[in-house]
Amino acid sequence: MLSLLSKIIKTGRITEPAPSLEDAAFVEAGRNLKATIGRLYGGRSLRIRHIDAGSNNGEEYEMTALGNAYYDVERFGLSFVASPRHADILTVSGPVTRNMEHALKVAYEMTPEPRIVVAVGDGACTGGIWKGSYAVVGSVADVIPVDWQIPGDPPAPADIIRGLLKAIEQARA
Amino acid sequence: MMYVLIFLQWICVLALAPLTVGIVRKMKAHYQNREGASILLPYWTILSLMRKEMTITRHSSWVFRVVPFVVLATAVCLALLVPSIAYGILPHAASNIFLIGAIAALGSVFLVLGGMDTSSTFGHMGSSREMTLAALVEPAFYLVLSTLGLLAGVWSLDGIVGYFAMSPWSAVVPVASITLLALLAVILAENARYPVDNPATHLELTMVHEAMILEYSGPYLAMLEYAAAIKLTVMLVLFMNLVLPFGLLHPAFGLALIPVALMVFVAKLTLGGLLVATIESTIVKMRFYRMQEYMSVAAIGALIGFILVLIGHTL
Amino acid sequence: MPTSLYLYLIEAAFVLPLVGAILALVLYRVHGANTATQFLFAASGVVGTIGIAGYFVSGQGNVAIQVISGFTVTPLAAFFLALVYLGTFLTSIYAIQGLRHYKKIYSIPWLNVTSALFILGMQATIMSGSVVAFLIAWEVMSIAAYFLVIADRTDDSLRAGFLYFLMTHIGFVCLASGFLLLAQGNVFATWSDVALGAFLISPQMLSVAFLLLLAGFGSKAGLVPLHQWLPYAHPQAPSHSSALLSGTMLKVALFGFIQSLFLFPFIPMWWALVVIVVGLGSGFFGALHAAVERDAKRLLAWSSVENMGLIFSGVGIVLVLRTLPDSPVAWSLAGTMSIFVVLHTVNHFFFKTGLFLAVGAVASATHTRDLDLLGGLARAWPLFSGVFLTLALAAAALPPLGTFFGEWMYLQSLAVAMSVLPTSFAVASALIMVVLALIGGLAIFTFVKLFALVFLGRARSDHAEVTTRMFGTLLWSPLLCVVGSLLVAVSAGSVFSDVAMQDAIGRVASLSVMPGASINVWFVFALFALVIIGVYLIRRAFTNVAPVRITDTWDCGTPLTPRMQYTATGFAAPIRFFFRSVLVSRKDLIKEPIAAGNPWIARRRLDSTIGSLWEHTLYMPIAYWVMRASTWTKRLQSGVIQLYLLFVVCALAVVMIIAL
Repeated sequence: MLSLLSKIIKTGRITEPAPSLEDAAFVEAGRNLKATIGRLYGGRSLRIRHIDAGSNNGEEYEMTALGNAYYDVERFGLSFVASPRHADILTVSGPVTRNMEHALKVAYEMTPEPRIVVAVGDGACTGGIWKGSYAVVGSVADVIPVDWQIPGDPPAPADIIRGLLKAIEQARA
Repeated sequence: MMYVLIFLQWICVLALAPLTVGIVRKMKAHYQNREGASILLPYWTILSLMRKEMTITRHSSWVFRVVPFVVLATAVCLALLVPSIAYGILPHAASNIFLIGAIAALGSVFLVLGGMDTSSTFGHMGSSREMTLAALVEPAFYLVLSTLGLLAGVWSLDGIVGYFAMSPWSAVVPVASITLLALLAVILAENARYPVDNPATHLELTMVHEAMILEYSGPYLAMLEYAAAIKLTVMLVLFMNLVLPFGLLHPAFGLALIPVALMVFVAKLTLGGLLVATIESTIVKMRFYRMQEYMSVAAIGALIGFILVLIGHTL
Repeated sequence: MPTSLYLYLIEAAFVLPLVGAILALVLYRVHGANTATQFLFAASGVVGTIGIAGYFVSGQGNVAIQVISGFTVTPLAAFFLALVYLGTFLTSIYAIQGLRHYKKIYSIPWLNVTSALFILGMQATIMSGSVVAFLIAWEVMSIAAYFLVIADRTDDSLRAGFLYFLMTHIGFVCLASGFLLLAQGNVFATWSDVALGAFLISPQMLSVAFLLLLAGFGSKAGLVPLHQWLPYAHPQAPSHSSALLSGTMLKVALFGFIQSLFLFPFIPMWWALVVIVVGLGSGFFGALHAAVERDAKRLLAWSSVENMGLIFSGVGIVLVLRTLPDSPVAWSLAGTMSIFVVLHTVNHFFFKTGLFLAVGAVASATHTRDLDLLGGLARAWPLFSGVFLTLALAAAALPPLGTFFGEWMYLQSLAVAMSVLPTSFAVASALIMVVLALIGGLAIFTFVKLFALVFLGRARSDHAEVTTRMFGTLLWSPLLCVVGSLLVAVSAGSVFSDVAMQDAIGRVASLSVMPGASINVWFVFALFALVIIGVYLIRRAFTNVAPVRITDTWDCGTPLTPRMQYTATGFAAPIRFFFRSVLVSRKDLIKEPIAAGNPWIARRRLDSTIGSLWEHTLYMPIAYWVMRASTWTKRLQSGVIQLYLLFVVCALAVVMIIAL
C-alpha cells in the first residue's frame, strides 16, 4: 500500500499537457455577446430555457456543447434554467410537431416579459426537410413570434452564440 | 458602537450573500476546467429578475404571494442574528440557538407551502422531499447546537462564536471536531447542496429546492434566490467562524479594525465556497430514498460529538 | 370579587349545562332549540371562566374552596377547570351553526343531552374531593364520551366506540383498583385521607398503585401502548365534540394523573423514568402516524397522542429532577419543565380545539375528511385559510405562536440539563433531545401536510369544488383559538408566574448562571413584523413597475389535471419508506378478473394500508389468546344436564374442602 502510494507520488502526472484549443472565433463572438448583454440588456445575466419542439436532437447536442469545458458559455453570462418562468430567452429547435404545439405555446405564454425567442436550426426556421409533413405544424414562427432565426442543420456553437447576439441586438433595437 | 457593529454585520451579510453563490459556482467551474461565470453574476441575475414581469399560475392562492416575503424575512432575520464578522454584540435572548433553529424551520415551511400552492406535480414533489429532509435534519441540528452551547457554556450563537474566538484554537476546535462535521452535514442538507440535492440540476426528477420554485418568476423569484443565498452565506460563515475563529470583531476593539475584519470575512466566504465546491465536485449525490442513512449518520455524529464534548467538559 | 360571588358563578357553570339538557328535551321538535341549548352551554363556559378568573384575582388562588359538598376547587383544579370552561364555550358557539347540516345524521336533542353530561362529568371529575366522587364523575364522563363517539351510528363509529368502551373500562378498572389500594379500601376517603393513609403502605404496593394509576390515566390520555382506541374514537364524534374530547378531556386525564401524584408520600426515580419513556414513546408513535395519516380528523387525533406524550414526558422529567437531593439547579430545571407542562397544556388546548373545529367546518362544506380528496380551498376561503394556517403553525410549534415558546422551554431546559447535571443525566438529556427534535420535525411535516393538502393547489375531487362562503360563526371559534395561542405567546413567563408557577419562576432566575438560556418574546414579534414590512417596502420600491400576468401552471406540454397532484399518501411516501420498519404498512395488488377465460384481463387496484405496530404485536395476540381461552371454556357449556350436575357436585366439594 505504502509502496503503491509512494510510486503514485513519485511518478507524478505523465499525461501530455492539454493543448490550447481556444476557438478564437467563438471566444470573439462570446465576448461581443457579453458586451452587448451588458450594454443593451440592463442586467448582465441571460437565462435560457431550451425547448425541443420536435427536432432530431442535432441542435440539442450543439446546445449541450455550449455548456462544456471547451465552449463554456457560462463565462459570457449565459445560463440554462429549468423553467420558462425563470428564462429571458427561449431557444426552440426542430419543426413544431403537432404534439408539441401546445407545449410551445404554453411555455411562451408563461415566459415573463421582456422575452426573446430564438429559433435554432433549419427545422425551427423553416420546417426543414419535414416541411409540409402531416405531423408537423410548421416552423416556430408559425406558432409563436420569433425574434431571430439561426439556420444550420445543426448550427455550430459559434453560430448559436452569434445568433443570440443578433437576437438581443434586434430585440432591443 | 455595538449597534454600529450589529448594523455593519447585517449589511455585510446581506450585501455579500450573492457573492457566496458566485464564488461557489466559480470554484465548481474551475474544478470542471472551465472559466465559469463572473462571480458577480448572481447580483446581475437578481437585479434583472427584479425588473422583469411576473407570471403566476391561475391555480395558486394568496399563500403563493405571501411565501417570498416570509422566506426572505426569515433569511434576513438569520443574517441579523447569526454572528458573522463580530461577537459580543447581540443580546443572548435574541441569538438563542433554538430561536435560530426555529426561524430557519419557518423559512423552510413557507418555501414548502409555496411549492404546494402551484398545483404542479414538480412543486409537490419538491415540497414533499424538502419537508421530509427538514423534518429529519432537526435532531442533528438541535443536538449540534446544544453541544456547542454546552462547550461554550452559553446558549446563544453570538456567545458560542465569542467563546471559540476567545479560547485557544487547539483547546476547543479539536474537541468539537465531530460536532462541527455533523454541523457541516446539517448545513449541506439545510441549503440543498450535495449530497442531498443538486443545485445545478435541470432534471425535475432529481430536484428538491429548485422544484419548489419552478413556478416563481420575476421579483418573487429574485427574492427566493436571494433568500437562499443569504441562508447559505450565514450558515457557511457560521461554520467557518467555528472552525477558524480568527479575525472577529468585538466592541472593545474599536472601529479601526473594521477593514481587517471585512477582509477576513471575505476570505472566510471564499474558503467556505471552496469547501462546498470541493465537496460538490468530489462526491456524488445520494439517492433520495437513502436520505435516512445520511440523516442517521448526521444524528449519530452529533451524539458522538456530544459525548466527546461532555467528556472534555467534565474532565 | 367577594368569595360568594365567584362561587355562585362556578356553581352556575355547573348547573347551566343541565338546564341546557332539559331544555333540549323539552323543546324536542322546536326549531331553534339547538341554538338555545348551545347558548346555555356557552353561557356556562363564560360564567365559569369568569368565576375562575375571580378565584385567582380575589387573592384566594392558593386555597381550596368548597363549591358544593364534596366538590372543591384547588389551584390546580382551577387551572384545568378553566380549560373545560373555555372548551365548552368555544365548541358550543361553533355548534350553533356547525350542527345545522347534520340534522339527518344526529339526533340533535339527545346529542346535546350527552354533551351536557359530558361537560358535567369533566367539571365534576376535576372538582371531586373524594375517591368515590372522582370515580363516579369519571365514569359519567367516559360513558357520555362513548355516546358522543357513536352519535352517528355508522359501522365505523360503532367499532371505534366498542374499542373505546373496552379500553376506557380497562382504564377504569386500573384507576379504581389503584385508588382503592391507596385508600386501603375506603371508597369514601377524601384526597387528604388518601395521602395520609399512603404513608402506611409498603413501597411495593405503592409501586403497583402508581403503575395502575398511570395505566388508568394513560389509557384515557392516549399513552402508548394504551393509545390504540384514540385515533379511531375521537374523529368519529361530531366535530365540536371531537374538539372537546381531544382538546379538553385529555387534559382531564392529565389533571387526574398530576393530582394523584400528590397522593404518594415519595416518588422513586424509576416511576418517573417509566413516565418519560411512555411519554416519549407516545410522542414518537403519535407524530409518526400523524405524519402518514390521510384522514384529517384522525391526523389530529394522532397528534393529540403525540402532544399528550410530550406533556407526560415533561411531567416525568419534573419528577426525576425532584428526586435529585440537594440540587438547586435540578429544582430550578424542574420549575422550567413545569412551565413547559403548563404552557403546552394550554397551547395544545387552543390549537387542537381550533383545528378540530376548523377541520369540522371544512368537512361540513366538502362532505369529506379524506386529505386525498381535498385541495384548493384557500382560493374559496382566504380568511378561513389564514386562520387555519396560523393554527397549523401553532401546532407545528413555529414562532411566533405560543406553542413555540412552550417547546422552547423544553429544549432549553434539556440543553441546560446537559451542562449542569451529572454525566448520566446529561447523556439522557441528549437522547431525549434527539427524540424530541424528531417528534418536532415530524409535527412540522404533519401540519404542513394538513394545511397544504386541504387548502393549496387544486381541488382533488368534486368534494372540494366549493363555491359557498364559509359561515362567519364557524370561523369565530378557530379565530378565538388563534387569539388564545397568540396571547399565550405574549404572556409566556408573566401570566403563568402568577398562577401556580411562582415557585418555579423564582428559581428560574437562578438560571442566569447559564447566559443565553432566555428568549425575548417581544423581540421575536418585533423582529418578524419589522422585517416583513421592510422586505415588502423594499420590494415595492424596486419593482413598482413589475406587472403580473396570470397563466396556466407549467405542465411540460401535457395538460395537468388535479389528479396529477401529490396526494396526502404521496406526500408522506418518503416518511412511510424511511420508517417502514416501525409502520406496519402493507401494499396489496387486488386483481378482479373481467373476462372469465383469460386471467390476464383483469382490473387491478393497489390498496395501501398502514397498520400499527402495537396492534400487531400486542393487541392482536391478546385478542387471539382471549378468543382461544373462550373457545376452550365454551366446551364446558355442552348442554348435557348430567355434566352440569357434576359441576354442582364439584363446586360443593370444593366449598366443603375450603370451609372445613
